[in-house]
Amino acid sequence: MAAPLRFNVMHFMPYSYLPENHKEYKSTWVSFPNKFFDPEKGHELYNRYIGELVLADELGYDAVVVNEHHNTVYSLMATPNIIASALVAKTKNVRICVWGTPPNFMLPNRLAEEYAVLDVMSKGRIEVAFPLGTGMEYWSNPVNPATARDKFRESLKIILQAWSEDGPTTHYGNHYTYRFLNPWPRPYQRPHPPCYIVGTGSPETIEIAAELGFGYASVFVTQARAKELNEQLRERAAHFGHTIRPDQLPLLTFVYVAETQEQAEKEYIPHLQRFFEDYARTIPQYLAPPGYLSVDQLKVRAATADKMHGGFDFKAISSSFFISVGTPDKVANDIGEWSARMKTNHINSVMHVADMPHWKTVKNLTLFAEEVMPRLRQRAGSPQRLAAE
Amino acid sequence: MSKFERQTLTVDGVKTVVHTAGHGEPLVFFHGAGTVDGFDFAERWTDRFRVIAPYHPGFGESGDDPSFTTMHDYVMHYLELFDMLRLDRFNLVGLSMGGYLAAKFASEHGHRIRKLSLIAPAGLIDPKNPMLDILAVPGEAVPGLLVSDFEVLKKKLPEKPDLDFMGDRYREAGTVARLFWEHPGDPKFMRYLHRIKVPTQIIWGEEDKIIPAGQAETWRKFIPNADIQIYKGAGHLVHLERPEAVDAVARFMG
Repeated sequence: MAAPLRFNVMHFMPYSYLPENHKEYKSTWVSFPNKFFDPEKGHELYNRYIGELVLADELGYDAVVVNEHHNTVYSLMATPNIIASALVAKTKNVRICVWGTPPNFMLPNRLAEEYAVLDVMSKGRIEVAFPLGTGMEYWSNPVNPATARDKFRESLKIILQAWSEDGPTTHYGNHYTYRFLNPWPRPYQRPHPPCYIVGTGSPETIEIAAELGFGYASVFVTQARAKELNEQLRERAAHFGHTIRPDQLPLLTFVYVAETQEQAEKEYIPHLQRFFEDYARTIPQYLAPPGYLSVDQLKVRAATADKMHGGFDFKAISSSFFISVGTPDKVANDIGEWSARMKTNHINSVMHVADMPHWKTVKNLTLFAEEVMPRLRQRAGSPQRLAAE
Repeated sequence: MSKFERQTLTVDGVKTVVHTAGHGEPLVFFHGAGTVDGFDFAERWTDRFRVIAPYHPGFGESGDDPSFTTMHDYVMHYLELFDMLRLDRFNLVGLSMGGYLAAKFASEHGHRIRKLSLIAPAGLIDPKNPMLDILAVPGEAVPGLLVSDFEVLKKKLPEKPDLDFMGDRYREAGTVARLFWEHPGDPKFMRYLHRIKVPTQIIWGEEDKIIPAGQAETWRKFIPNADIQIYKGAGHLVHLERPEAVDAVARFMG
């Protein structure tokens, strides 16, 4: 393989103190009562999680990734730019990926400004992704899911205009009017930080990435589907005159490394099970608010959900998604094979899930950095550190 | 009673399906925010009226127009359709969201309405009798809230989970979200209701779980001479549960 691999650590920063009776509630998103949030525990978790990403910097990872969710134990990052700000101050080399704030939940100039502040503060270490936002976020924010895609597109146009064109400029659209679009500061990276679209495979969203020449990160789709989506993006981007580079296709993986296969599975699987069963637990109504999906997409997803019904099955789930659990050799082999198959050199790994304790996270981060990354970099014949370019 | 004939028109670029039956004075029916109830109930009017029952854009057999984001877009759509159908002056009946639309149409274009009948109309901001936020109700829970006697509605629902039925309902909910997600109530609607001067009837099922029948009295504040009829033992879809309510419309219009 020609292109050097790039390694990200993605953190969801969950509220890992789920009450034992949480199953009395229909979802751990949207309506799960916030009386269960204990600020003392929250304080401990923020410090711990930020510390884990600082460790990732020290261990030589290329990037750390944060993202945004609302009203949920799944993630404590309702405001990821604030987390990113702490990371800018506490890290030295890693690129900091905010993947990201749904533009629909913020004024577009304000989002352009926040990313620019982070980019200038960090001397150009910021990368951003623009998600439409999950269905759940539209129950939690006062934004219409039925007009969300139109608003999303307009927001992106404004943000790119704010970054790429000398201000002041104007914008007169369906959702926003700017008489003086002229944000200070502008990003450190010119014309702007690397941009991606994040999504679960709606053709409408891929089309936006293709048109703008952005990267596309598919999340929570099967291996086969992820491959199709990467190919779709390449094909549609070519239609708009863009060539998609391998690094524009981050591959979402879940990894856990230990000394033996048996130990890795024993240490990891219970947390992964809780991640899927408890922390990602939601209902169809929250996943698809009215108008959020096209009717075709709703039917496709409803049909798939029916098929996937059933208990947690590690073998099935790890072959369906990009999940690698085992020895350094096993994990390096999996990632090497996936990156070749998916034609990407950009590995985005979730290394902490659900209620995994700190020591396991540190162990996982350390073994992956010291045992897996060198194996893969050796194969690729790549430089030690991509971010230091 | 005669059966409906289906007609497909293009109104300002939007496919619009209109069901028509009967002879006599024209009577237009505006359906509500869902179309599961169908138009069969309206056959009772066809002996005395030419019944015109269109599907609104974004509902039932009509096409979509994503640019429709306010009730005013529907008023404009119907001005255009009525011109095409050469309907100058007519009786207007509206159910639920269709009642909201009928009242809005009548407050703006009263000279085109002969008589107005509102069946469990939406549209009021009435804090003492608040409408259920139907957009927040899970789809599977909606049918049970629509009627007092579920047997009445059951025959119109699929027996087993049905993807197409689910898709149709999701599409209609999306159309409703486009109109009402951010602003379920429009204070400006009530601001101009007093302009309705035509004879008006208001019909409600006493056990309406979507829009409380108590709102009927609030309507009277805006339309003081409204003829209010409350039907016991009926819910939101009073026209399905109580055929005599359907007959009462014909009597009022006659």
